[in-house]
Amino acid sequence: MNIVGRRKLWFSISILLILPGTIALLVWGLKPGIDFTGGQEMEIAGDIGQSELSELVSKAGVKDITVTTSGGDRLIVRYSDKDAGESQQLRQNISALLKQKNLQETSFSSVGPSISRDITARALLGVGLASIAILLYVAFAFRNTPPPVSPWSFGATAIIALLHDALFLLGIFAILGHFFGIQVDALFVTAVLTVIGFSVHDTIVVYDRIRENLRRHNKPFEEIVNISINETLARSLNTSITVIIVLLAFFMFGGESIRYFVLALLIGIISGTYSSIFNASPLLVVYNNWKIKKSKGNDKSKGNDKSK
Amino acid sequence: MVYNINMKVKTKLYLILALFVVLILIALPREDKIFSALGLKDAALKVRLGLDLQGGASLTYQADLSKIPSAEKAKAIDGVINVINKRVNPSGTSEVVVQTSGSDRVAVQLPGIKDIDQAIGTIGKTAQLTFLSIGPDNIPEATDLSGNDLESANADIDTQSSKPVVSFQMKSSAVQKFADLTKKINKENGRLLIILDNEPLFNGTVSTPITDGKGQMQGFKDIKDAQETAVLLNAGALPVPISLVEQRAVGATLGQESIQKSLLAGLIGLVSVLIFMIAYYRLAGLVAGAALVIYALLTIDIFKLSGITQSPIVLTLAGIAGFILSIGMAVDANILIFERMKEEVRDGNSVQAGMEAGFKRAWTSIRDSNISTLITCLILYLSGIPIIKGFAVTLGIGVLVSMFTAITISKTFMQAVVQTKIGQKPSSYRIKGVEDEK
Repeated sequence: MNIVGRRKLWFSISILLILPGTIALLVWGLKPGIDFTGGQEMEIAGDIGQSELSELVSKAGVKDITVTTSGGDRLIVRYSDKDAGESQQLRQNISALLKQKNLQETSFSSVGPSISRDITARALLGVGLASIAILLYVAFAFRNTPPPVSPWSFGATAIIALLHDALFLLGIFAILGHFFGIQVDALFVTAVLTVIGFSVHDTIVVYDRIRENLRRHNKPFEEIVNISINETLARSLNTSITVIIVLLAFFMFGGESIRYFVLALLIGIISGTYSSIFNASPLLVVYNNWKIKKSKGNDKSKGNDKSK
Repeated sequence: MVYNINMKVKTKLYLILALFVVLILIALPREDKIFSALGLKDAALKVRLGLDLQGGASLTYQADLSKIPSAEKAKAIDGVINVINKRVNPSGTSEVVVQTSGSDRVAVQLPGIKDIDQAIGTIGKTAQLTFLSIGPDNIPEATDLSGNDLESANADIDTQSSKPVVSFQMKSSAVQKFADLTKKINKENGRLLIILDNEPLFNGTVSTPITDGKGQMQGFKDIKDAQETAVLLNAGALPVPISLVEQRAVGATLGQESIQKSLLAGLIGLVSVLIFMIAYYRLAGLVAGAALVIYALLTIDIFKLSGITQSPIVLTLAGIAGFILSIGMAVDANILIFERMKEEVRDGNSVQAGMEAGFKRAWTSIRDSNISTLITCLILYLSGIPIIKGFAVTLGIGVLVSMFTAITISKTFMQAVVQTKIGQKPSSYRIKGVEDEK
């Protein structure tokens, strides 16, 4: 299969898939949950409709209530109680109203502003640090790569593939957030970081083969990359299939509390599989061709035909 | 050549069998019986469940350390932890955990708690005990006695009045001070006023000076009220003000449901993966399946055994997700090896040589890719956000264990399998384009 040769097609597909989400991300942004904004969140089980519940809870004197489904048959009530903390008055009022209607409060969270600031800062720091650590690690792992590619180009293209997956995932959740009110929480950050880790994991396997084939064959770089992708194709697909199988089982049978977390992982892993096959390695070729062009432009007398 | 497995591989197989037996014994729910038979009475192993799985509440308090010199901040936090511990767990028997969270926060874990509001009420009290002497002119006068001077307090029902009371005993260092105070009040015909925060616990005359440091406070609603006050008095006052900044509560039924659903999902996922692996890789898929079973047992055992160490692994819902995801990673190592083996056989190697080369060649990919996942896990862990930490720990352990099982367990099984008659045929592994040797 000529994957590298049709790289423009694969890149176009990626851009087409990422574009709507990216626009959504820029226009609407993500809907941050109470982990990031602070506030109160209550999960309720029982026989009641969304608007009915909203009306009921507002009797407790709460303003700014939003009621969404939990991804299953439960409802989630969110509100903002500035005087939370020790005085549990508002929550107690709501609990009393729920009891009257025979509704069950299955979980309750209240996050203060200092905690939410802390979580936001740590989450951003985590994403940043993980990306840097991965770049350094990939460059280090591929430090002995024979020419023409530099170890840094492996790191840099792995990061581009990783950003592709992160952007795709964030974009879909921006769309889901706008239309279905799905919020992102600390677990979502975990999902993003895991997807990043998996994306690189997948990419490294292909790069590893490219490095090996560079030593074994004396063929043009483009061809070596293509051979390497094809040789690792079965592995990439099979590994992704097994991960997708377990995640699907969890998505369908694993309960509501982590359904969106599992969905985020599913989206990211599918995207990660695509990007490691169709983006990361073809990008290496693009990067390499660009470098050759540049060095030829700089030094016309010396013909760099090593990889042509 | 049917069962002519060489000695070295045979020894390894026996070792794996022994390991398997030990793993099963630890993983089974009744291992405490075995331990007690071995004379280890207290070694009850249990996978520690997080509050989101067993139900309960976790509360985070921010301590106000602004008025504390930096050298004494750690001491102040320790004081807060100590006081909260005594308040929520006066008998020391429940599974309450009170610990620092960051430099100036204290996290309180209350498993299985029913009345969160009461716990919040108890923890949040400053519990400042004040002794005032009120003279005949009705002017209250401060004394140098405080909650620190109390040795102990006990709630009881007074036999004469049959009303709830709290009797207290002063520390020996304060007995004389208390005697002097009561002597003075008695002489002046004044009153003694004892106040806990804003609540009067004693307000009355003193008929005889108290020289033994014993006293009794009354005016409680019921015995429960008296008991709560006794707990607060015994725990002492909070050294610094604290405020509730985070609260997360999960009902026991939701936790139970989460466990059951996760187990079901995990089982369905695992079986589906096994079916897929066997369908695609045949004999090798079977080997991967056997290795996967040992991998799962080993991971459960690590969770259980960590319970008797200083830092037990607490399994949360996110942690289960990490474990499930690591199943995928565990299978990945096997897939890398088998795909490599297939290639080697297609290139003209025998199944046995292809298998050995497959393990050797796949190793760098397994190592490099897993290290990148481990780096992510480490950073997730260092983020310090509890729910993320739970995920990172189980995923990280899963990745490490899977590397071990892929290179030891799978390899030994494969070495044994390729020496059997059926195991020498490429078709047994669904390797296409290669004829079985006669």
